This record gives sequence, structure tokens and C-alpha cells, in this order.
Amino acid sequence: MIDQQVNNLIKMLDQIIANNRHHGDDDKVTDVAADHLHKFWARSMKQQVIECANENPEALSGLSRMTIGKLAGAADSKESLPHPQCDEDR
Amino acid sequence: MLHYYDPSIQSYEPSKSGLNPDFDYGTPASVSETLVSISVDGRAITVPEGTSVLRASALAGINIPKLCASDNLEAFGSCRLCAVEIEGRRGYPASCTTPVAEGMEVTTQTGKLAKMRRNIMELYISDHPLDCLTCPANGNCELQDVAGAVGLREVRYGFEGENHLDAEIDDSNPYFSFDPSKCIVCSRCVRACEEVQGTFALTIEGRGFDSKVAASQNDPFMDSECVSCGACVQACPTSTLMEKSVIDAGQPEHSVVTTCAYCGVGCSFKAEMKGDQLIRMVPYKGGEANHGHSCVKGRFAFGYATHDDRIKEPMIRDSINDPWKVVSWDEALAFSAKKLKGIQAKYGRESIGGITSSRCTNEETYLVQKLVRAAFGNNNTDTCARVCHSPTGYGLKTTLGESAGTQTFDSVMKADTIMVIGANPTDAHPVFGSLMRKRLRQGAKLIVIDPRRIDVLNTPHGGEGIHLPLRPGTNVAIVNALAHVIVTEGLEDQNFINSRCDTGAYNIWRTFIAEERNSPEAMEEVTGVSASKVREAARVYAGAGNGAIYYGLGVTEHSQGSTMVMGIANLALATGNIGKEGGGVNPLRGQNNVQGSCDMGSFPHELPGYQHVNDPKVRERFQSVWGVPIDDEPGLRIPNMFDAAIAGTFKAMYVQGEDIAQSDPNTQHVEAALKSLDCLIVQDIFLNETAKYAHVLLPGSTFLEKNGTFTNAERRINRVRKVMEPIAGMEDWQVTMALSNALGYPMNYNHPSEIMDEIASLTPTFTGVDYDKLEQLGSIQWPCNDDNPQGTPTMHEVEFPIGKGRFAVTEYLATEERASRRFPLLLTTGRILSQYNVGAQTRRTNNSDWHEEDVLELHPSDAELRGVSDGDWLGISSRVGHTVLRAKLSTRMLPGVVYTTFHHPGSGANVVTTDNSDWATNCPEYKVTAVQVEKVSQPSDWQRDFVDFDKRQQALLKPAMGQQESRHANTLK
Ligand code: SF4
Ligand code: SF4
Ligand code: SF4
Ligand code: FES
Repeated sequence: MIDQQVNNLIKMLDQIIANNRHHGDDDKVTDVAADHLHKFWARSMKQQVIECANENPEALSGLSRMTIGKLAGAADSKESLPHPQCDEDR
Repeated sequence: MLHYYDPSIQSYEPSKSGLNPDFDYGTPASVSETLVSISVDGRAITVPEGTSVLRASALAGINIPKLCASDNLEAFGSCRLCAVEIEGRRGYPASCTTPVAEGMEVTTQTGKLAKMRRNIMELYISDHPLDCLTCPANGNCELQDVAGAVGLREVRYGFEGENHLDAEIDDSNPYFSFDPSKCIVCSRCVRACEEVQGTFALTIEGRGFDSKVAASQNDPFMDSECVSCGACVQACPTSTLMEKSVIDAGQPEHSVVTTCAYCGVGCSFKAEMKGDQLIRMVPYKGGEANHGHSCVKGRFAFGYATHDDRIKEPMIRDSINDPWKVVSWDEALAFSAKKLKGIQAKYGRESIGGITSSRCTNEETYLVQKLVRAAFGNNNTDTCARVCHSPTGYGLKTTLGESAGTQTFDSVMKADTIMVIGANPTDAHPVFGSLMRKRLRQGAKLIVIDPRRIDVLNTPHGGEGIHLPLRPGTNVAIVNALAHVIVTEGLEDQNFINSRCDTGAYNIWRTFIAEERNSPEAMEEVTGVSASKVREAARVYAGAGNGAIYYGLGVTEHSQGSTMVMGIANLALATGNIGKEGGGVNPLRGQNNVQGSCDMGSFPHELPGYQHVNDPKVRERFQSVWGVPIDDEPGLRIPNMFDAAIAGTFKAMYVQGEDIAQSDPNTQHVEAALKSLDCLIVQDIFLNETAKYAHVLLPGSTFLEKNGTFTNAERRINRVRKVMEPIAGMEDWQVTMALSNALGYPMNYNHPSEIMDEIASLTPTFTGVDYDKLEQLGSIQWPCNDDNPQGTPTMHEVEFPIGKGRFAVTEYLATEERASRRFPLLLTTGRILSQYNVGAQTRRTNNSDWHEEDVLELHPSDAELRGVSDGDWLGISSRVGHTVLRAKLSTRMLPGVVYTTFHHPGSGANVVTTDNSDWATNCPEYKVTAVQVEKVSQPSDWQRDFVDFDKRQQALLKPAMGQQESRHANTLK
């Protein structure tokens, strides 16, 4: 089952794609959408949609899956940053 | 600083011209560039052509007595006190209405003139009560001063004749009284209401001896058209129109210039004090945003600062069902730090976040986001701009390269066509609304795109405006239709497009917009606005010399808010209305410092100065000053924080000066989120709705209690100056600093000026800003750096920060929030003049006399269909919630559209608004909610729960409030 939070993210992603359809073919549109998520979504939000795409791909439209695929590719090539201030305190 | 339309603006800059903003030069400055030389009592002076002899004399240091003249009003020539002799002319012309002429020789003092002036004063005084010693204006009365100046020694006519000494006082306005017995019928008030405010509420009724000042149809002020802006009170040379606070407390003895903390106009005021008591706020003529004008909020609604509800001591509790406990600052901060660290240890670094306030200063906002990024170690910072102007940031940055409006307010005085989209300046930005009305009276054309017939369309003497009453949610459709007409009818400014805009982007956009499906005819069905009207509006906008667009939340608070902002920028680019005075794209920012809070890096993806967190070079600079690594991923936005809280991954929040529980949409969802937090730290001046869910309450300080800066909607950085000590001992920036220190991330600033220095060192658009320069120049419009050391009044004059302007394709997509059989009406929300946003301040002042409750405005035809009459209780249901409001029938909206405000928490306006949001920024779609309304007899379940919860929380606060009072009294001793 997909929780409300992920449902909201899926809805947001659909909305982003719909508003960027004019950029051209699917490849271009999903580039723009993936870039938007990259720039504006928090790490946890990205992780949640990536997980959803892995576990429940059927919950996503084709373009959403394609966007998330691109996002996941970009995320793989980058490690999350440690933060001494807080990580130390833990 | 550049010259705008009126040299007086420059003249009011004390450092620039030597002119004194506290001095009345008698008549307005002339705009002429031709200079004329005259002599006054043998002194030579050169002034612009068109200057009055009275003003020229004042500039030469010779003060001719005057009563009916004032330099913010056109000369009227009624009192004759200012009479002079002019070589070669007959008689004694009034110097206020006589313009200078080359070589003119003026004499201001002769025996004849002195006698004439004494005679005039004698007549005035014979019908004026001689109770100067007990008069509230005593010590600050122009009539008294002039009587002294002309040497009045006797009044031969006696006081027995016919007079007005028994005229009745009108006390109806809560803030000022009108005592006609003291009136000298100089008509300054009437002219101030017309020329400065633009309301035309006052007239001089009757003739000769019987003439008197009347509000509307001889109504009490409160029942008249008066909007209580105070312009007449300020203009009155006697105590006829007088602030009640001065009547009560006497004349103030010192004053401090500061900036209004209500709306994004950012008016400058003199806070006039008696010791540490604020007696009155007088709009400051040296303020470049307001030039001495004000509205009812900034002018009069300051009483909340000393209201009994103020939180004066820190308080804590473990659960929201516990009573509050008053503790020391140290204890409250240690408690907060322990909770925050514990939560991070248990749930991870990203499980906490902070919200900066658009009501607080730039320096305070900067510190909160710094606290989040440096001490919390994540980017979970956001601000209330999320729910208002975040699409402005996105849309303008994409098209013009900078997230801000392009003009000064004064620029409107050079506009030939003014287009107002989804904004209501006369209510929400009143002082700018008055300026706009002034320009409309001078003949500028007006286009209004709004579902409601807003007041600016009814500007007295303002000509006929074009109103495009579109269906809520169809903004993009209409802006595309306007652009379609401009493109297909050849109304573009090809020179501008070729030289200033990116050709590739333009060509793509042009092909898109020229498609038939974007034509007004094709869109008519969608927008409900007739194609011919849209064509007319497009021609008027594009055909004008200067076309200026002003927009507000009616643009941004939609599912396509960002798209619409880009659509507006497209219009301005296509017509070459960028980079010049009189044109531009102007977001009317809601709160006093919403521009500043965005500038200061409140958004989760941007460091101060709109610098993206994923840019390593940017992070590097911040890291070197802050001494800690900065997360390279954006953080959560407010709605994402709520979702994460409900999901159990987001556990603590530090909220400075924002009432998210009342202001954010889908109240029940917000309440559920707040209830699921383990630690909510609220820093505010009152127990607001959000604080009722809090575990730590840190007392905030009002704008009167701190130093700092606000940035208004024209990017103007204005000083906020402390006029009284903070009620709880700490200014808000000091509290954030102390919290940071408690968390182990050291912050040590001694004054907000040091914070500004740090901001300037890290923000390319602020590098030239410092407190000394602010002191010198009065205010600075950013960007202020090596290229523009004095600031930048008009943006993009030569190029855009992104080089060329970028047209953006703006495809219209209908919102999912559509009227249906179940919810056939569209609800849209807004605000009114006397109340401010969530109303936490204004509800605690007499401004509530104008707006005691939020009502639901609906069209008579919708009312009839449902058997509803004025004043009935109406249940309003949407797919997320239900609330009850009183009905008000109004033809200002189209049938099918209903309207309400959200100034009172118990109204629950946001219980019905949904969490639909802008696709790019998540700015909520407040302006469109599909609803049904029906007559009901009782409040909604939510409203009943609200009342119960409020009662319970007030009860949990009460003992602590008692305790704080006695502790506070002890510390004061
Ligand atoms: S307070 Fe303002 S609106 Fe009211 S009468 Fe005076 S000038 Fe006019
Ligand atoms: S009320 Fe004051 S400003 Fe108005 S006419 Fe009388 S004296 Fe002049
Ligand atoms: S217009 Fe705005 S800034 Fe000016 S006084 Fe009114 S509320 Fe304050
Ligand atoms: S001041 Fe000139 S006539 Fe009154």
C-alpha cells in the first residue's frame, strides 16, 4: 500500500510533468522534470519516489517512472553529505 | 540615487539636498528642469520653473506665514496669510498660488502686510475657542504659531457674535476625534483626503460663514466613506482633527524614524514617544515608499504592542495537554536544545526544521535559516512566502533572472496603462493604492483582471477601467489570450525583443502563443471573459507608452501560479516594458518583510541571495564563514514538513513569528501535523493558533522593540529602529542566537548591523549594504554592489542577470479543483483594509471596529437559489472540510463565485481550502476551492472543536500568565 505522503509526491510529480509537456518529446520532458526534482525536492522526497518506483512501479505513469529513473541515476553518482556538527552529537 | 518623476523625492533625502523632511515648504516641488531666479527680501534663489513664491521663499530660508498651504497639497489660496508684495505687480498676491517668474523681486515683510496678516488672524481667532492651555494641540499648533508669527495681540470682535464654538464633537472614529469648534475651514483635510488618499470622503459644506467640513453626507466619520488613513488628521493645522492618543496622553516629546511592520509597502513612520510610551505614529515625509502617507494599520493599529495578551516570559511544557510553566530564558533554551538534539539522535538529522518569519527583520530571518543550515545541519527551512509569493521567485527568476519586482512604487506615476492582476491594492497595499489612484486621476488607463470588481475600479475621477472578470483558476488562459493578441496584431516591441531577449526562447514562445487555441475567442469558453474585451485590453496595454503590471496573490496562489508569473513576464518582455520607469512587473508583496525573508535564504533550496544549495562554489563561501559543511540537497518545504510529520519522520519545528495553524490551507491536516510533533518551539508575541500546539513558547518582540531592517516590495531596505525595550529582555535575533549557542553552534553578534555585514559579505546583491550607508541614504534598493553603489531603483535597465530575457511557454492547464454538481461554487479568499492577515495584531486593536468577523460574500442570484438572505448563517463545504460563516450579499463577484477573508481563526476559512498547490513551488491554491453553501443553524463540528480547544489552551496558559505578570512586575521594580 502506498501511504498518503508518497501519494502526494506522485501527484506533485504528475503535475510537474503535465506543466512541462511543452518542452518536447518524452525524453526532454523527463529531463526537465528530473532536473526540477533534483533542484527543489528534499533528499527524503526523492528517496521516497525512487523507492516507490522500485516497489510499486504500477502506481506511476510511464513518464513518472522515466523521470524517477533519471533522478535515481543522478542520485547514485552522488553520496549524501556527512554533517560533523550533528553526526558527531549522535 | 536617481531622479524619479518628482524632484521632491530627492529633496526629501536630507543628506542629498539639505532639505528637511520635517519642514513644510508650503507647496509641492515642481518637476520642471528649467530654472528660474528670483529675489526674496533681497536674497537670491534659483528654483525650478513652476515653483511657488511661497516655496521659493522657504527654500531661501524665509518663512512666510501660511495656514491653508502644505507641501503635500496643491496650493489653494484661501487664507491669504501668505500675501506678499511683488515689484511691478499690483496688490498683494498670495505667494502659495503665485508661481515664480524670472527676475521677480518679492518682499515678504512690510507694515501693510503685517497689518493685513494680523487682521486675518484676528478674524480666525474671533471664531476660535481661546482654550490654548488645555487644548491637545498646545505646543504643536500651526494656528498658535502663526498667531505668534504675525504678532496678534488683540481680538477686537469679541466672542459674543455668531460663532461655531458650541459645535458638537464627532467621536465616532476610534482613533481620532473631530471637534468642529476649532475648525478654521482651511480645507486642508478635504484636499488631503482627495489628493493624498484619493477617497474623497470630505467636503466643505455650505458657504461663507456657514461653511463647515462634512464627512460623506454629513455622516459621523465612522459611517462615512472615510477609511481612517489619517491624512486629514496630519494635514489639520489645528486640533480639530486630532489623534485620541494625543488627547489622552499629551504631546509627544521625542521621536524615532522606523518602518511599518504590516504590509509590503514598507511605510516610514516617526514613532512619537513620551518616555517609553508610544503616543502616535506619524507617517514620515522622508520615507521613499510612502512620502508621508499611511493607512489605518500602520498609522493607528499599534496598540497590540502593549496588549495584556503579550507573552512576556519563556514557557515550557512536556505535552500540549499540560499547563504552561514559566521558566528562565536559560531553562527554556536548554529544554529546547535537549529536545532538538534528542530527536535528531533518534530520528536523524533531517527530522527537524525551522520556519522563518516574514514579519521579522532581515537579520532575524537570516539567523533562523543559518541556525537551521548550520546548527540543525539540514536545509529544512521555509517561510510563509511558501504560501504567497514563492511562484514569484520561481517565475521571475526563470524569465528575468531575479526573484523580485522591477520598479519603485513611484514608477507608477510614469505609467500610461496600469494592469492590476489578482491584487487589491486599495485594501492590501493601501498607500501604494493611493498613489495608483493619483496616477489614474491624472489619466492613466486601468485594466483589472480579477473575479471581483475591486475598489480601484471605482476610483473617483479615475476614468473608466477595463475589467476582465475571469473565472477563478483561468489566469494562464487569459494571459495567453492577451499575449496572443499582442503577437498576432503586431503589437510587439521588436527592437526590445531583438536586442534584449533570447531569440531561441522567443521563437518557440511566439509559435506557441500565436496558435489559434490561445486566442481570446478560443479561450472565451474557459475564462468566461468576452474575446472583444480581452482584445481591447491587450491593445490598451501594448499600445501605451508605458505599461505597468501589478499583481498579487490572485496570481500566485493557484495550481499554475508559477506559470502565470512567467506569463506576466512574457507580456512585459513582448512589449518592451522592462528596464524603464513606468513599466515593469511588480509583485505586490503581502507582508512587511516577505521580500526580505526570501532574499535572506528562507527557502529550503536557496541560500541567501537566491543562491542554490547544490552549487559547490556558493556552499564553499558560506562554509568558510559559517565554519560547518552545508547540506547540498534542498530541504523540506512547509507542506512537505506537514506530510512528513504525519508520516512520523519529521518531529520538531522551530517557528519564529508565523501562525501556520491559521494561515496554511487545509487546517485539519495542519493540526494533525502539529499534533504529531514531539517538540514545537514557537517564538511569538502572543499565544497564536500554532502556539496552542507548542511545547516551548519563546516571547517575541514587536518591531518597536528591535533594531534591524525590512525590505519592501520595491526591494527597498529600510531601517527598523528600536523605540522601546523588548518586553521579555531579548530581541528576536538574540533569541535565535541564544538557541544556537545552546545547541552548541556559536553565534555572537552584538548588533544587527554585524549580521547585515555578514549578509553583505555572502550575498552578491547586498555587497554594498551596511548600516552607515542606510543611515546616510535613508534606504537602499538592492542590488547594491560595486556596479550600483547607491542601489538600483529600476531593474534590468541594460541587461538581465541571466543576460537575455527568456520567454517561457505557458501552457494553460485547468486546475483539478473544478466546480461540480456536489460543489458547484468556487470559493476565493482575500483580505480587507483594516485587518492584517491572521489578524493576531489588528484583532487586538480598535481596527476590529471595522471588521468584527469574516463573512462569506455571495452573489444575490446564488443566494436566491439557496433561499439565503443577508446575515444568514451559511455552511460552506469543500471536499476537505466544512465551516460556517455569515452571509453577505454582494454583486462584486460573478454568480458562481463566493469570497471570504481569513482574519479570524474561529471562522475556519482554511478548513475548507485544500492542499492543492502550484506545480513548481507548492504554493497552495487558496484562490480556488470548489464548495457548496447552504443555510445552517449552528457552527460546524470543526468550529465547536476549535472553541473547546481554544478554551482548554487558554486555561492551560492562564496560571502562567498570572505568574509572568507578577514576575514581570518584580523585575520592573
Ligand atoms: S482619515 Fe483619510 S479617508 Fe478618512 S477623511 Fe481623513 S483623509 Fe479621508
Ligand atoms: S478640520 Fe482642520 S484641516 Fe480641515 S478645514 Fe478644519 S482646520 Fe482645516
Ligand atoms: S500601507 Fe502598509 S506599510 Fe504603509 S502604513 Fe499601511 S500597512 Fe503599513
Ligand atoms: S497659505 Fe497661501 S493662501 Fe493660505
